[in-house]
Amino acid sequence: MNHFRGTAILIASLAAFAGASAAQAADSITLASQVFVEKTVTGPDGRTQVQLNQPTRVMPGDDLVFVLKYRNAGQAPAKNFSVTNPLPRAVAFRETAGGSALYSVDGGRNWGALPALQVRAEHGRLRLARPDDVTHVRWTFRQPLPAGASGKLTFRGTVR
Amino acid sequence: MGMKIQGIARTTLVAVAFGITANAAQAAPTVAGTTISNTAEATYTDPGGNPQRTPSNTVDILVDELLDVTVVSADPGDMPAPPGSTNQVLSFTLTNTGNGSEAFRLTPNSTVGGDQFDPTTTSIVIDNGNGVYDPGIDVVYTPGSNDPVLAPEASVKIFILSTIPGVAADGARGAVTLTAAAVTGTGAPGTNFPGQGQGGGDAVVGSSGADSVATGAYVVQNAKVALVKSAIVLDPFGGSDSVPGSIITYSLVATITGTGTLTNLAIGDAVPAGSTYQAGSITLQGSGLSDATDADAGEFSAAAVAVRLGTLTGGNTRTVTFKVRIN
Repeated sequence: MNHFRGTAILIASLAAFAGASAAQAADSITLASQVFVEKTVTGPDGRTQVQLNQPTRVMPGDDLVFVLKYRNAGQAPAKNFSVTNPLPRAVAFRETAGGSALYSVDGGRNWGALPALQVRAEHGRLRLARPDDVTHVRWTFRQPLPAGASGKLTFRGTVR
Repeated sequence: MGMKIQGIARTTLVAVAFGITANAAQAAPTVAGTTISNTAEATYTDPGGNPQRTPSNTVDILVDELLDVTVVSADPGDMPAPPGSTNQVLSFTLTNTGNGSEAFRLTPNSTVGGDQFDPTTTSIVIDNGNGVYDPGIDVVYTPGSNDPVLAPEASVKIFILSTIPGVAADGARGAVTLTAAAVTGTGAPGTNFPGQGQGGGDAVVGSSGADSVATGAYVVQNAKVALVKSAIVLDPFGGSDSVPGSIITYSLVATITGTGTLTNLAIGDAVPAGSTYQAGSITLQGSGLSDATDADAGEFSAAAVAVRLGTLTGGNTRTVTFKVRIN
């Protein structure tokens, strides 16, 4: 249905070291997932601050920030590099932060920009997809990820 | 520990640029004890042209139990009740608005201010699921013994049964409140009960404070009847003297007042000594009634006239007439 090609934009500051040395197995991609809960805290001076904590427990309605840190720790560039995060069922997707991503609202079969996606609503009618319909978020990199490059991808969700 | 996040404003702008709108109303909350498990995956092509995939670590987060509850009156308005009546029913709907299975303690209070009388609450009854109070079928509530346990989003009807004081005036209002409180605990929103949540997490008081109160009320509906008797005499000579042979037409006017209803109202009047009932003379609202003890409302028997007026609400009047002849 939606074959989006080349729409992804590199968001990370990729160190532009091309000219990788001899082609070795790029078996050293690392991907670290972190989840933070975002809370607005009012300090003793009455000013509010947004705090991020890594929780072990959350409540329905809590706002979560998902951070994915990737790094090419290998010796060669990684071509066709992409990062996919399936949304835990208990999390309603809200937005990605600072970059363009592709979304799926059907379990990863079709991908596109969110306004272009539709879901089947009651009585079998199609409606435009909402953020909380998102089942997967994916970032696709146009350029190979050079050896030594790293970056961070972020999205937000709310505990249903 | 806590770190400030930067660039919130920028993020918001990005969201707008991509046309992402706020979430629609959420469905049922995630059940307490659910583990939110997040794993991402990187895919790429290695220098040998082989597709590769690298999973991230998995982050597991437990969903705590949110303690929240609502109680609302399920009555269409103040419930009419006669003075001195028993087992008068007020209905409430108790809903677990938290995300865990939770027991709720119920407490009635019939001595609230702002009303005209205090009903006497005799029992609290838990509905069997059909939404209607069924005497002898729905279970009587005993605090601490059968506190209703509700799944997330589940509701149950609660009935309060009261006796209305006999002295309560017509139109007087008597309120009763029902409070439901999470058995795990109540308090200011955010109050934490470590390890007491469903599924092993904490139980945390939600925005309701984990308790809720609703008010129902009775309004007394009473009715009175006043009976006025009058007589018109017609003597055999066309005058109005009470002499042997005179016909007396008695009128009995029943006037019902008040907001309530009188049931099985009947008027009876003995034929005076020294007079003879005139057969077939009973009327109700101007229409004749038979003397026989039969299906119609009137009868003459045992030297007395009786008319059954049935069930009448305040504001009605009924006029009965009958005739006798002076012996």
